Amino acid sequence: MPERYMSRKIIFTALFLPLFIFSGLSFYRSRHLKEPVVAGPGVLEVRKLSHYFPGIKGSINDASVYLLGNGGAGQGSVLILGGSHPEEPAGRLAAWIIVENAVVNAGRVFVILTANPSASTSTRPGGAYPPDYAIKTPWGERKFRQGDRWSNPLDQWPDPEVYIHYPSRQQLAYMDIRNQNRTWPGRAKGTMTERTCHAMTRMIIEENIDLVIDLHEAELQYPVISTIVAHQKGEDIAALASMMISAEEGFQIGVEYSPVALRGLSHREIGDHTQAIPLLLETPEPFLDATRGKTDRELLLSGKDEFVMKAGKHGLLFEKIDENGWPIDVRVGRHLSSIIQILRVWTELHPEKPIVMTGVPRYTEVIEKGTGFYLKNPSEAPANRVFYE
Amino acid sequence: MSATSSALLILFAMIAVYVAAKLLRVSTELSLFFAAAGGALAGGYGIPVRHLAEGAITYLDICLIFLTATLFMNIIKEAGGVSFAVRTILKNFHGRRGLLFLLLAALLLIPGALTGAGSVTVLITGSLVAIVLKYMGLNEVRVAAIIFIIAGLSAAAPPVSLWAMLTAAGINMPYVGFFLPLLIPCLIGALLTIFILGRKAQPVNLEKALGELPIPPERMNWWRLGLPFLVFLALLLAGRIFPFHFPILGLPLIFALGAATATLCSPVKINLWKTSLETVEQLLPLMGTLTCVGILVQIMTLTGVRGLIAVSVVTLPAAAVIASLFLTLPLSEAVLMWGAAPVLGVPLVLLFNTRGLDPVIVLAGMSLIWPLGDALPPTAIIGRLTMTTVGVRERYSRFLKMCLVPAIIIAIIGTLMVIFSKKLSFLTVF
Repeated sequence: MPERYMSRKIIFTALFLPLFIFSGLSFYRSRHLKEPVVAGPGVLEVRKLSHYFPGIKGSINDASVYLLGNGGAGQGSVLILGGSHPEEPAGRLAAWIIVENAVVNAGRVFVILTANPSASTSTRPGGAYPPDYAIKTPWGERKFRQGDRWSNPLDQWPDPEVYIHYPSRQQLAYMDIRNQNRTWPGRAKGTMTERTCHAMTRMIIEENIDLVIDLHEAELQYPVISTIVAHQKGEDIAALASMMISAEEGFQIGVEYSPVALRGLSHREIGDHTQAIPLLLETPEPFLDATRGKTDRELLLSGKDEFVMKAGKHGLLFEKIDENGWPIDVRVGRHLSSIIQILRVWTELHPEKPIVMTGVPRYTEVIEKGTGFYLKNPSEAPANRVFYE
Repeated sequence: MSATSSALLILFAMIAVYVAAKLLRVSTELSLFFAAAGGALAGGYGIPVRHLAEGAITYLDICLIFLTATLFMNIIKEAGGVSFAVRTILKNFHGRRGLLFLLLAALLLIPGALTGAGSVTVLITGSLVAIVLKYMGLNEVRVAAIIFIIAGLSAAAPPVSLWAMLTAAGINMPYVGFFLPLLIPCLIGALLTIFILGRKAQPVNLEKALGELPIPPERMNWWRLGLPFLVFLALLLAGRIFPFHFPILGLPLIFALGAATATLCSPVKINLWKTSLETVEQLLPLMGTLTCVGILVQIMTLTGVRGLIAVSVVTLPAAAVIASLFLTLPLSEAVLMWGAAPVLGVPLVLLFNTRGLDPVIVLAGMSLIWPLGDALPPTAIIGRLTMTTVGVRERYSRFLKMCLVPAIIIAIIGTLMVIFSKKLSFLTVF
């Protein structure tokens, strides 16, 4: 090898070595960031998803399942999913607040804070996401992983050149084989993401869960936004809940019906393959918009963006946006009030299988006091009540 | 300072650094890197190491596909397979130009249609087709243009069109109904390209051609040549036909297994180490560009420059947007590659949908135009790959000029599909 090539290689290696080291440290830290969860008064048990399907045991996606209840039998049950797409933080934070605050007076409430833990450990190449974000609380800050839409390639790789959904055989974009909201109902011998969905499907069937609420956020350019997406089995609940929310909670939410031709989504497959009624909630997250400006923590939490506003002025958005943006408190509050109203409607329609949950703040309360107000201080909680995501 | 002013300043800083680096004769790859670093500094981010590293791996999978596919073809060449195939094709079809063109167009369309990657077409069948076309009297630049344009169309052709799939996923639209709207214009475009650019082709002087072409090893035959391709195709199709029983190998491993088969089938001993080193050497500029483009896109996103560009395009009046598709789509492809689909494709299809156009036909028409940008700087990945594969030594601008006529025809077909999408919606049957 010519000497000049060798010296050039040495110089470039020396120049780029610090970049490798410091970026590597950043990636390592965010992948291993421990997020504390203080089990609230309603939490009876914390178990792993592998309890329902051993095929997921030992993988990063052996998620924690928080079981809230009061020990009563013969009542209704709901599964609340946060973090199917961890890049949509309002879903995870709303689920967090439920686990740390809810008291269940009737029925059973299963909560998974991070339905795709692997996706919470990476950020999107080309997306310039921050590695994490912090929520201010009265006692300090809580730090959360930012995450991505897709499972981390470190955990599931390579992708096929086209993803063929099981069991419909519908062809989808290749990377969606790592998208947990395209891999329902899952597959026992499938990829890690498919096995995670399979484990949750098994759980829904074994626990005879009645309702599944999947918490999401959407870019404002996406037509399915500020809405409840319902499987046909849940049309009445969604419509009634939407009316109640609009009348009582201080914000409007629409209803959309799950398209039969769009496969792999929770609101379609859970309804088709289990006894449960799936509902998917969407709040607006300008951080996800393709026209967004600076991509940083501020945008993630405030939802304020000049470029997205400009797109809105040209009629390109499916949700309004102004100088106030879409702050995280508004988005978390919308999810929480929607859940409260959905459970209320469920209980009214099925008095023989009630699900009654108290202690969860509503939309106006979260806006008034902030999301952080409802996050507990792990250092003040008994050690056996603190878990980590 | 407003977000627009800030993003504009950063964009100017990036352009200034890029131009300065090019004036100082810094390579394209490093110029892109310095432009990204300059943008980050201008935006007040210092040297954001995490973003630089994350951006660098954006196109890692594509780099691996390039590497393994080129290794596969280089081994076939070393084994004498390419000269064997070219000699046989020339012997059988040298007198039938039309038939030969049809055969070559089909050879170019299939790999990209199956994988969604024009690069695979260039690497797998491009070199073979190039030699045949050269013996028909077409110059290297013309040959490269034919291969590039049809490779782009092959990537847009069904069943796998990544632009259509990524955009459809972004608007929650099933990837259904695209087969005919993608297939018909891609076939028309491919045939027009090869017949227009190949109009000056001469009947092959068989004796001269066979005298010049290297003589393949005696033991080379169709089995030895075909088996690696059969292994490649079998592994690819197995994943499609038995997706729930066959392990996901990924294109890089499929190509690597094809390369291993080619080594085993070779009638002459292959020095795998040497061929691998030469392959890496051959592809280093391309992989460097891809890596640095990833970094550039990441910094553009971080600083809001990407958002500024996206919002500026989608907020033009609808008629102006349609009229400028032939520019905006290729340019976005040149900068973002497939990333252009979620960034620009999603808002554009939503915009057209709200104006009453058929989103499937619109997206198919746009998917036809996007690959034209693969020849444009700063990336020009497939264009440069084609130049390398064909062995063009002339200026890149000559190649671009040669692509112009078929590119205009394809852009017109795509734009007309957008305008008349409602009338063409009968095509969305499956």
